[in-house]
Amino acid sequence: MSTNTVSRKRGLSFYARIYKKILIQDLKSKMSYRADFIISTIGMIMTNLSGFVTFLILFRNFPSINGWDYHHMLFLYGFSLVALTPVQCFFDNNWNLRFQVQSGDFIKYCFRPINVFFYFMSEVFDVKGLGQLAFGVGTLVYAWYHIGMEVTVLRICLLILFLITASLFMIAIMNFAAATCFWIVGSGYVMVIMFRFKDFAKYPASIFSGIFKVIFTFIIPIAFVAYYPSLAVLDPCEAPVLSWCAPLLGILFFWLSYKFWMLGVRKYDFTGS
Amino acid sequence: MSVKRLFALTRAGIMESLQFRLGIFVTLFANLIYLVLVYFLWKAIYDSAGTDVVNGMTFTDTMIYLILATALFNFLEMFVVWDMSRSIQSGKIILDLLKPMNYRRYTFWSYSGSHVVQFLLTFIPTFIVVMIITHGAIHMGLNLILFILSTVLALIVNFSMEMIVATICLYTESTWGINIVKETIVLLLSGASIPLAFFPEAARKVVDYLPFRAVYDIPLTILLQKNGSTELSGLLPMLGLQVIWCLILYIAGTLFWNYSVRKITVNGG
Amino acid sequence: MENAIVMKNVCKDFKVLNRHEGLKGSIRDLFSRDYKTVSAVKDVSLEIAKGEIIGYLGPNGAGKSTTIKMMTGVLEPTSGEILVNGVVPYKERTKNSENIGVVFGQRSQLWWSLPLIESFKLLRDIYMVDKKDYEDMIELYRSLVDIEPILHKPVRQMSLGQRTLSDILAAFLHNPAIVFLDEPTIGLDVSMKDKIRSLIRGLNSEKNTTVILTTHDMGDVDALCKRIVIIDKGSKIYDNDIEHLKSYFGNYRTLKMRLSDDNWVEEVIDESKQDIMKIIMERQKEQKIKDLKLEEISTEEVIKKIYEGASK
Repeated sequence: MSTNTVSRKRGLSFYARIYKKILIQDLKSKMSYRADFIISTIGMIMTNLSGFVTFLILFRNFPSINGWDYHHMLFLYGFSLVALTPVQCFFDNNWNLRFQVQSGDFIKYCFRPINVFFYFMSEVFDVKGLGQLAFGVGTLVYAWYHIGMEVTVLRICLLILFLITASLFMIAIMNFAAATCFWIVGSGYVMVIMFRFKDFAKYPASIFSGIFKVIFTFIIPIAFVAYYPSLAVLDPCEAPVLSWCAPLLGILFFWLSYKFWMLGVRKYDFTGS
Repeated sequence: MSVKRLFALTRAGIMESLQFRLGIFVTLFANLIYLVLVYFLWKAIYDSAGTDVVNGMTFTDTMIYLILATALFNFLEMFVVWDMSRSIQSGKIILDLLKPMNYRRYTFWSYSGSHVVQFLLTFIPTFIVVMIITHGAIHMGLNLILFILSTVLALIVNFSMEMIVATICLYTESTWGINIVKETIVLLLSGASIPLAFFPEAARKVVDYLPFRAVYDIPLTILLQKNGSTELSGLLPMLGLQVIWCLILYIAGTLFWNYSVRKITVNGG
Repeated sequence: MENAIVMKNVCKDFKVLNRHEGLKGSIRDLFSRDYKTVSAVKDVSLEIAKGEIIGYLGPNGAGKSTTIKMMTGVLEPTSGEILVNGVVPYKERTKNSENIGVVFGQRSQLWWSLPLIESFKLLRDIYMVDKKDYEDMIELYRSLVDIEPILHKPVRQMSLGQRTLSDILAAFLHNPAIVFLDEPTIGLDVSMKDKIRSLIRGLNSEKNTTVILTTHDMGDVDALCKRIVIIDKGSKIYDNDIEHLKSYFGNYRTLKMRLSDDNWVEEVIDESKQDIMKIIMERQKEQKIKDLKLEEISTEEVIKKIYEGASK
């Protein structure tokens, strides 16, 4: 019998190495499509600019929203942009899931001795997301300066921790939305609408009341994509308990979304072909 | 082309849309949630403003405007650009072009079925919900008929723009980039993300004459009876603008398409 | 002999919505809960020995793909047992996939925009193939086919034949015990088909790899398989040697005669029921026979007969 009957462990370092290799190869081949790269980058800049213009027009007419002034809102806005970068860069293949599932091409991800979710996501790294990151960081720095917050090591650490937290929520939302296609044919709209929901992440979640506060905090957790995590950075002493729970909840949500996604893979009968 | 054949395409489109039954319920539900989001956001914004009317728009006006803009967006949404780029990549485009029917007309009528389903399943329910929350703030009269007329014109303008963008795909593989540029521009300048009434004066002057306004802003302004659309003198320029853009975009689109197709057939894809 | 694959009474059911016709039907379906169960695979038992090349045949929609999806661990059987290399594929999909290679339909599993050699390197890492084993395998490939022209070409720029070739090579790269090939020669020209067949034969004999081949091309079957399994409407209807197949419906042979008007007449004869000499003699009474040939019936014709007979 051949040597590979013994199942070898594939740990975190194994996956990191594979991802790095795929990434390098992918970037190399992307460079060969220069026109596509330029047009996509322009598109990405346009989306960000348009979001920014909308924001400016809004504040031109209304000086504050729910007690949040211009610079604090700008902070929230920048925070949400940075938090949305990982989902854009690393999990963009979710958008192709429904086409691959419908056409039956998805099956190819099931034949390799590696994690299906990893294998699927590793196929696309979206460089355009980096433009958004730059935009977000710029906004964040500008807002931080104008709010006049002190720059301390602790604050920076908090910022990084809570940015990661916030991005986990967004990734989880998109995983859930994408995985619906394993059960529901024509569910593409779920992703579109969830992606549009994210535009509301940049407003303070205190605008919601009653049952909807619960829904947008725990069921479709857009309140966690910027609002709660950024409170912990803006004002650590006054931040609500939910802000401090966010990192754990983020991990939980991500884990649940991953399980849901994988359940979809197992339940799907691959009849499409 | 007989009318019967065109309606056959509409009918097939309706049946195809109905196949995805769970998808339809999910869409309906997602739309309602979106509506709630818009409601809360703008309620908070108006509460913070301290005045009831901003730039001639009350809270109710703004909310109806934005919610119905989204409903219109869903109703008008077409994936022509994506369809086109996929059929170019798979080479299916050649077969499409060989069909005994004008490709653009075929696409338009194939989509008409899903437009009908979307109108009944997303626009109408949204409209009813809006009427309930606002206690019947939308005037029910001649404006409804004018609104429908204006929406049909909007649909044609939108389709023509989609088709022009889709034609660009014959030249480049960058579908995502082109599509996002189009979507961003249309959403911002048509009033779908923020009512055009809130734009600065100088910007308004430019936006007023661009075709994007003809897609969302004009039908909604007519429905809400703003900008003197109750008078013939206010109404005619708006409908006139839509008609003019319909013609310009249709002709430009046809010329561009015919030119591009001739180019492909010569170069053999 | 040890078995590579054992299937015992395997069944697979799918639940499908009963759809109604017409526009009214579509609206009704929106709320309908009227499901029916479709059995894609019914009580199939099978044993496949190590190193065998087996032809897994059946008309479209017979349940071939479903069976293969179960063997590869993608689908869970509704009932019955499957063991692949001693592993229950559905329960241990990852472990199972280390020991199998799959070429599924016309869907390339390679990285679309990467040159083939880079795909190979990634697969080497994913399957944790030793450096030496990997190099030996590439050496073996070189000896069997001319891989130089495709090695540095991105998959998306390859012709269909080159892509199929690449996919097959990729499936064998980690030296799996079993390789599943689903219609590997579909859409290929005659010489490419030949190349692919000899490659499969070569790899099978060098590495003693078990090969499960589904195909509609009897040329593949004749060139590669000793044993064939035929499945129709989910049930196994034939499982034996290819030679035996020819006598499945009796001893068929084709008698060709050139008559006095110079035309060839054909007659398929079941030798267990009819006597060939008698038929020739009968014919000769009426007309002069200028020439005659007796031909073995082709696999294609037998299979056609089986499919037609089974679907009655």
